Amino acid sequence: MSSLALQDLGPKTLDWTWISNNFGDEILPALQGHIFLSLTSVAIALVISLPMGILVSRYRKAYPPVTFITGLLFSIPSLAAFMLLVALPGVGLGPVPVIIALVAYSLLVLIRNVVAGIDSVPEETKDAARGMGLTNRQILFRVELPLALPVIVAGVRIATVTIIGIATIGAYINGGGLGELIFTGISRNFPTRVIVGAVLATLMAVLADVLLLWLERRLRPWARVRRA
Amino acid sequence: MIEFRDVSKTYTGSSRPVVKDLSFEVLDGEICVLVGPSGCGKTTSMRMVNRLIEPSSGEILIDGEPNTAMSATQLRRRIGYAIQQIGLFPHRTIADNIATVPGLVGWEKARITARVDELLELVGLDPEQYRGRYPAELSGGQQQRVGVARAMAADPPIMLMDEPFGAVDPITRHRLQDEFLRIQQEIKKTIVFVTHDIDEAIKMGDKIAILKEGGILAQYDTPENILAAPTSEFVSSFVGSDRVLKRLSLMRVSEMDLEPANGSDTLPRIDERTNLKDALSEMIGAGAERGLVVSDRSGVRGTISIQQIKNLSHRTEAGRHGV
Repeated sequence: MSSLALQDLGPKTLDWTWISNNFGDEILPALQGHIFLSLTSVAIALVISLPMGILVSRYRKAYPPVTFITGLLFSIPSLAAFMLLVALPGVGLGPVPVIIALVAYSLLVLIRNVVAGIDSVPEETKDAARGMGLTNRQILFRVELPLALPVIVAGVRIATVTIIGIATIGAYINGGGLGELIFTGISRNFPTRVIVGAVLATLMAVLADVLLLWLERRLRPWARVRRA
Repeated sequence: MIEFRDVSKTYTGSSRPVVKDLSFEVLDGEICVLVGPSGCGKTTSMRMVNRLIEPSSGEILIDGEPNTAMSATQLRRRIGYAIQQIGLFPHRTIADNIATVPGLVGWEKARITARVDELLELVGLDPEQYRGRYPAELSGGQQQRVGVARAMAADPPIMLMDEPFGAVDPITRHRLQDEFLRIQQEIKKTIVFVTHDIDEAIKMGDKIAILKEGGILAQYDTPENILAAPTSEFVSSFVGSDRVLKRLSLMRVSEMDLEPANGSDTLPRIDERTNLKDALSEMIGAGAERGLVVSDRSGVRGTISIQQIKNLSHRTEAGRHGV
């Protein structure tokens, strides 16, 4: 498909006039739609993964089946997933199946990082906490989660970047977002749309990556300081 | 007072107990050292005091009350807890780490701040310099000091210490031991102290409980009595073939009946605070049969002889064999 759009790469490839004329009513809404899809999906995925991860870190036997199922979800080709979801009763076309699929894709990496983050808390730190009389809940919220947070945010980073990329395909089932520009660009053989959509999606992914990396570092002030 | 009453522990899925019929008392203000080879159940025994491990049978009384009379978390907040791996919270500052238990039991902020500074001073860390730091910024020895300070924070009458000076080099360990003994003279806590190192046990303990594999109490007594009269082959081999010398290291020259010094200027000079083992070493090293005991305040106190020390050791050896 992309070869179609890039057939006549030439001086006319990037039509700046089109960009300035359609910025407000086509490009910006697409960008906003994309941000909405990505944020909503990551947020929902996090709401599911956090308690799931905590539960799994407590009931270890649940870990293999959980990674198996989320791994299976992760391996479904995105286009196929979108089409299957559309076919489900009560779902249909639009952003809903896109968000469902994006959430499903994020679960594996998010749950795994929640568990890895909690696992990374040193045994002796937990033992000291218990020995000093912290309750299980206090150990979770005051010790385990704060120490796991940077690893969890690292997972959010990977999930977000992945989601921003996959979300473009959601336009195929009327999910909106930057994919809208790309798909119409391809079907109308108008490369500018494709390029604008792709560049914005890439920029968004890079920006999210940098922002979350910054957050990850900020959440670990104790690791920045080193013995002189 | 802490009282172990027929305490046994067998882990589920295991047929052999790790602690078996353990009964002894730790008196108020005393350091009781649990010592023994690995697998002797010493850490398990200690962890049963604050119910990190629950005994399979028997009970542990604290001031006459079973330690199950209150919830485990309530109990633990009243018992100081320091471990070898320290377990400081890496994401909390030194001040916040020390403030853990006072915070849990609801002290006011000002009181906590004052307490943190007081404790940092007590363990020899400048509050100004250290309270705002993170654990990763401290050396191993400094971290262990903070660990001990944290255990003392809410001024618990009882403290549990599992090899609290284990993770540092020998020189730092000796310094930390000395400092802690000095602190203990002031605070007079009731302490259960776990170590695998018999020398540390002898140095730190008012009483020593020697455990052998399977969690059986082999002997429970003062360091002096254990060194003078081990009750079994196991104990005498555990305390080591140099137990006579170890015992000498518990006694100071000033405790001996000194002979008057007359015209003994050529003798090696021995400070009266020196222990008998070191005094012996100095005399042997100087090739002398006797040494001149001196003190900072009153100058020459008298003389001590190798023979005197020999007699002392011999007497207790004879005592051991029931003569």
